Amino acid sequence: MPFATPLALLGLLFVPAVVAMYLLKLRRDEAIVPSTLLWNRLVADVEANAPWQRLRRNLLLLLQLLLVIALAILAARPFVERPAGLARDLVLIVDASASMGATDVVPNRLAAAKQAAIDALRDLPSGGKVSVIAAGRTARVVATGSGDMARVRQAIDSIDVTASTGDLGDALRLASALAARSGDAQILVATDAALATVPTTRVDAPVRVLQVGRQRQNQAIVALAIRTAPSGLTKSAFVSVANLDDVQAKRRLEVYADGALIDSRDLYIDPQARAEIVVDDITQQNKRVVNAIEVRLVDDPEETASSDRLASDDRAWAIVPRDRLRRVLLVTDGDPYLETALTYLPNTELYGVSPANYGPSTHPEKFDLIVFDAHLPQSLPSTPILAIAPDRSGPLGDVAGSLTAPGIGSLDPQEPILRYVDLSTTHIAEAKKLVLPAWARSVIPGPAGAPLLYAGDRAGLRTAVLAFEPRRSDLPLQVAFPILVANLAGELMGASSGPNDAVKPGDPVSLPIPSGATGLHVTRPDGTSVDLVPGTVGGTTVTFSQTDQPGVYTVTPVLPPSASGSPGASASATPSPSPGASGSAAPDIDPGTPFRFAVDLFDVGESNIAPGNASAISALGNSGTTGATPGASGAPAPSGNGTAVAQRPAARDELWGPILLIALAVLSVEWAVYQRDALIRVWRGIGARRRRPAGGS
Amino acid sequence: MTLTEPGRPNEARRHAFLPSDVDPTVFDEAFLRQLERLLLLMKSPVRGGLKGGRRSVKRGQSVEFADYRDYSLGDDLRQLDWNVYARLERLFVKLFVEEEDVTVTFLIDASASMAAGRPPKLLFAKRAAAALGYIGLASEDRVAVSVLGGRLARRQPSLRGSGRVFRLLTNLSAIVPADGPTDLLATARRAAAMLTGRGVLVLISDLLDPNAERVVRELAGTSAELIVLHVLSPDELDPKLEGDIRLVDSETGDGVDVTVDLATIDGYKARLAAWQTGFAELAAKRRASYVTVSSDVPLAELVFAELRRRRVIG
Repeated sequence: MPFATPLALLGLLFVPAVVAMYLLKLRRDEAIVPSTLLWNRLVADVEANAPWQRLRRNLLLLLQLLLVIALAILAARPFVERPAGLARDLVLIVDASASMGATDVVPNRLAAAKQAAIDALRDLPSGGKVSVIAAGRTARVVATGSGDMARVRQAIDSIDVTASTGDLGDALRLASALAARSGDAQILVATDAALATVPTTRVDAPVRVLQVGRQRQNQAIVALAIRTAPSGLTKSAFVSVANLDDVQAKRRLEVYADGALIDSRDLYIDPQARAEIVVDDITQQNKRVVNAIEVRLVDDPEETASSDRLASDDRAWAIVPRDRLRRVLLVTDGDPYLETALTYLPNTELYGVSPANYGPSTHPEKFDLIVFDAHLPQSLPSTPILAIAPDRSGPLGDVAGSLTAPGIGSLDPQEPILRYVDLSTTHIAEAKKLVLPAWARSVIPGPAGAPLLYAGDRAGLRTAVLAFEPRRSDLPLQVAFPILVANLAGELMGASSGPNDAVKPGDPVSLPIPSGATGLHVTRPDGTSVDLVPGTVGGTTVTFSQTDQPGVYTVTPVLPPSASGSPGASASATPSPSPGASGSAAPDIDPGTPFRFAVDLFDVGESNIAPGNASAISALGNSGTTGATPGASGAPAPSGNGTAVAQRPAARDELWGPILLIALAVLSVEWAVYQRDALIRVWRGIGARRRRPAGGS
Repeated sequence: MTLTEPGRPNEARRHAFLPSDVDPTVFDEAFLRQLERLLLLMKSPVRGGLKGGRRSVKRGQSVEFADYRDYSLGDDLRQLDWNVYARLERLFVKLFVEEEDVTVTFLIDASASMAAGRPPKLLFAKRAAAALGYIGLASEDRVAVSVLGGRLARRQPSLRGSGRVFRLLTNLSAIVPADGPTDLLATARRAAAMLTGRGVLVLISDLLDPNAERVVRELAGTSAELIVLHVLSPDELDPKLEGDIRLVDSETGDGVDVTVDLATIDGYKARLAAWQTGFAELAAKRRASYVTVSSDVPLAELVFAELRRRRVIG
């Protein structure tokens, strides 16, 4: 029998030591008896005075020798060898996507996958190395080329279920890169194969899949949105619930407003269908301001067995957008089209001032957007700016001349500013010839690279420049004009609060830093908090990436001690109200007001927990050696791995278990022998106690 | 009971009539009270002291009629009861009690091993001899005491008559254990050689001697009736030993290493029982009486319960 640490067999040297201790004459207490006549006869056959005879009869010594031998062998770690079923360099991918939290296997799929992976590692040849990759939203290496199985097990154990959509392709690419460094590599994927995005990456190594999961019972909240009613007074929640099971499901939908239950609906959803639910009037409940809406999908109390195996998609959150008045200053000599279009913007107060009256006394810093129509001031304010047909070059861009009847270039359909904007019938009489600055992107391309509209982030300030005056085109007469103005205003002013749409778990989110704040304090759904400071001095946004938990995140701007009051609250707004705009002074917005954003899964593909096709994943690998199983050594060795497979060391099974059992058994027997008198007395006592009541009756 | 606590001489109070040469630690007041009580109890049933003495009565020339038996050829015709023949026409021989001088001899083992035990076996032996000797004296028997110690058997002068009881006590209290090893066989042979005529021989010993069986066999072979009082102390009957110890013989000084556990104790007890059974069988075979007794048994219990039960005394 081979040993992993044969030097430990030196422990057998304790055997003669134990024997020697027994051979040494015991120092005995003397007891004077009237006569040793009877004792002599008793020990006559025991031969107490002959050490060797005593040795042979001493059960304790034998047991102790056995124990020493067992411990020495245990320390030497004996093992048996068998053909290895895995390659020498193994890359283990453990799927940690949300669907792995399904409880159709106990306790959940991830635990089963981890156990399957640990079981599979027994086939690793001796000296084999294991890299472990957790495949969540992105691939994460938790162990690299480790030969220490304890560390590998620890790394596997450290993988937790994430709430995000998994990307197995990313993990496979990483695994392929790790495998490429070795001549004898194999990729082991522990997954339920219920993949939201099916990987297509080809891998130059054999891929074996350890599939877990059996059922597809799941219902999920796949969408939740808050919309303002056309009246502008109430808000409604739109919820979409999908039944991904093969049978009809009965669930209950509970709607909470800031933790208080406001509505409950029983849903009957057909198999593979969605139920769309609209919950009206969510903010008027209890006549109070509602920050966040949570919807929960719970089991019907009358149903005995749950028809849902994945809990992480049964809750969703949405932030109720604040109705905040925004102030727009229009610096113009008068453009009725523009004024009218801006007046139609919801929750907006429009102020007007002529270019001649514009100056520091206008307090441009108190406006959310300033529109400069044809004229640019000497110094630009630190607010978002929409410049229309700038008359001269400046920080907003260079004016290289004029264009007459410029054509509109091909438009990007993904451009948010042009959403629902149809410019196909628009004609422009005259426009400025602008040069696209480095900070901007071209929104409406013009002739010869001169943009007709560009937008971007200029030193943290949203800025857009339109090359032509609307009235110098037929655009104001088209339906596209108010939409374009609304989109531009949304783009330029939208950054003043957090993201309104739900963020996917794990996705980084860009958070604006209000003016006057030095940083942000983000409280996560579990109560932990993170302090964020901008990467550059004076930066206006900061990226937050710890969005792995679904739920509501609260962002509180951190104000410097001196700026705790409302800056500019005492300053009066001097611009004269423009026609149609309310003249009342708008309340100043405190930059310290916290805002919120929600993180939700909202992924039908990930919520579909039906076990997928494992062979499709296996097929991505170098299929020639996929079947490298024990006993398959006779198979023709394909590709360059053949030599490596032939030279692969055998797997080792250490035999510590049975030896430890033997040692424990010997130890127990030794103890029992040592205490045999006490045990016999106890046994006799029990026997006497049993006999006594029997005799008494 | 003072009898079971002999190691406290200060508490032993001398009896008012006790002669000065009687060891008060051996025959203390409590013992004498027991002896008096013994006498009172003996009064009614006393017919002839020890059983051995009664059994040795010869039917022969005497005036005291004892019994009849059938005539058999060769009997003395002078002993025929003609009156009975006249009535029954059958021949019967009259038997008469032969009055004989019976000697009760106590062989007291005074080897070193007898000094051991709690209470010491020798003390018990002395008291037992005193009690039985008192019965003998009360039955008008001769009472003699021989001490077996070392290689010698010292026979003390025989006594007769109940008035000599204090002399008996004095003699008994003078017995001391031998210093060195005792050859029980040799001393018993010497004592046996000093026996005169028939009588009762009472051997009080722990029999812890390799030749104990031969001693019993040879003493049973004498003309006297043998009674063996086998005395063992409680710690010999049930040793309270444990662990790895070296047992040292109090007589020879020889040691034996033994690991005492429950199994060893069980083995010891089994051997002890077999050893005693061997003596009992031997005694039965030789028509001797054998009584085992623990040295902590009260004297009255010994005399009235144990010895009577075994029909040693009548």
